[in-house]
Amino acid sequence: MEQQLHEPVFPANRGYLKRKKVYNNIAVFFAAAAFVIGSFPVFHIIFEAVSIGYKYLNWHFISTLPTGFPIGAEGGILNAVIGDVYLIVIASILAVPIGIGTGLYLSLFGKKRANAFLRLLNELMLGIPSIVWGIVGFYVFSTNAGPGFHFGFSALAGGLTLGFIMTPIITLLTEQAVNQIPASYIEGALALGATKWQATRAVILKAALGGIFIGILLGVMNIIGQTAPLLFTNYYNTGMPTGVTGPGGAVGDLAMLIFIYIHEPSKILHYKAEAASVVLLLFIFALDLGLRLINYLAKRFIL
Amino acid sequence: MFTLKYKDDLFKFILSVFVLSIILIFSVSVIIVLYYSYPSIIRYGISFLWTKEWNPPKEVFGALTFIAGTFIVTFLALLFAIPFSFGIGIFLQEYCPFFLRGIFTVIVEMLAGIPSVVFGVWGVLTVVPWLRESVEPFFNAHFSNIPFLKVEENIGYGILAASIIVAFMILPIISSITKDSLASVPKLAKDGALAMGATKLDVIKDVSLPYALNGIYGGIILGFGRAVGETIAVVLLIGNQAVVPKSLFSVGYTISSLLANTFTFAVISPIYASAEVELALVLLLTSLIVNIIGRNILNRVIGGRFSRSQFGGG
Repeated sequence: MEQQLHEPVFPANRGYLKRKKVYNNIAVFFAAAAFVIGSFPVFHIIFEAVSIGYKYLNWHFISTLPTGFPIGAEGGILNAVIGDVYLIVIASILAVPIGIGTGLYLSLFGKKRANAFLRLLNELMLGIPSIVWGIVGFYVFSTNAGPGFHFGFSALAGGLTLGFIMTPIITLLTEQAVNQIPASYIEGALALGATKWQATRAVILKAALGGIFIGILLGVMNIIGQTAPLLFTNYYNTGMPTGVTGPGGAVGDLAMLIFIYIHEPSKILHYKAEAASVVLLLFIFALDLGLRLINYLAKRFIL
Repeated sequence: MFTLKYKDDLFKFILSVFVLSIILIFSVSVIIVLYYSYPSIIRYGISFLWTKEWNPPKEVFGALTFIAGTFIVTFLALLFAIPFSFGIGIFLQEYCPFFLRGIFTVIVEMLAGIPSVVFGVWGVLTVVPWLRESVEPFFNAHFSNIPFLKVEENIGYGILAASIIVAFMILPIISSITKDSLASVPKLAKDGALAMGATKLDVIKDVSLPYALNGIYGGIILGFGRAVGETIAVVLLIGNQAVVPKSLFSVGYTISSLLANTFTFAVISPIYASAEVELALVLLLTSLIVNIIGRNILNRVIGGRFSRSQFGGG
């Protein structure tokens, strides 16, 4: 009796069912293999950077300017760390207000068709290649001939160009954050007679704060790795900047430093490029961890 | 009451100024690229796109070499990336044990967060030596009579190295969109098929994929848009020689790597600069068209939801 219960209904199909299971297992194998191969670079990049660059990773490396010949053979990467701070601050001054403002406008005001157009524009800006931004930035900020701001190769020109890249990211994340707030929160405020400004200040900005912060961190994460836009707007400086525009206004940058060092024939500069990659990756993964934490906390405590 | 109304109007006005400035940034960018490429467009006409000679001192500019290089690298990268991202998407959404899905997704997102220049360094120090010491000698020994697989110079640098790296860079975009599209398949349809005795493979093949296919196309198109403009990793790996690549292992030049290498010198001569900006225009138009199509598809399929993997790099 026991035996019969386990007999398949159509014994003739037993081979067919078995075959299907084998095919399924083959599919599992290939899908898992694709994942293993696809994620291999993550581990190998980190492993290689750490195993080559570890002997330079100390406080001295981060806190001294590059010296020696070729420049960078001795000393550290302080110019790039300071330069990145300059660039992030300048880019954020441009991108944070515009991004948050546009994101709020998209979710609070505007007509349907106009907003669809704005959204498309924003998504298109996300897709523009960074080298094209570099050329735009050159003609708007850096060039000395023709119309433009004539900032020269400087932190201001580079930072504002990076701000162009950062803006659509913040816009997108702000709009998503506001749209995630339950409609009843906002409607409740409006029903009590609050104007949209009062509702924004008292309800929306508080509830969407986590999402907006994530947008800013994502934007910083993105621009910190950008090299191509800086080629024509800021390039590189081995020392400290003396201003933010004109001669002496250029700053160092981690991504740019890695790019320049890996171009040099000197082996020691290759090792330093790997050490700088570790610093850059650490910074990016720290931001990543931070925004995952904010995401978790926002979901847990605000909404 | 007056002040409240006033404040609200002021709020709306300030937001409108921000909206206007984002429109201004976009239109200024497009206008600048059009304005500075105009001299080259009227001087060289449409034949700029398919003549081969690029000679700045003689002021003869034809961009075929770079356009061909760009699209060959892009298509090779897509060729490598599509099967893998397909597999990754299916693995993460359907096969992966639930408790591992979160951490595995994080790993794919980490891949998206690695900057282009770090990928380039990895390519120079790992992929290029591997190609030079293992892959190219192997192909040289066994396939040297097949024209597309001929190894001309055994140096490791070239379109293969560049497209392998670009493939890894677009992998997270396509696989995360594949995953999202698979996630949008109604659970009822999948459960129905499972209840009829289908294996997971049958469900994926006959229920999920037909439903998710449009979204996956959208992901591939966005991956294309990303690969076309990829600069820094390509500059480091492609070899930077102005020849139309004849085989998988030959060196080449792409639009973006040409701009990165020469634009700072080009600005000295207006017509040279203009020719280079016209190349940037080609990149810009390609990316705009590709993104309009891709976003349209994705907005219909997964409601325009952005996943983390779509930003990053550069």
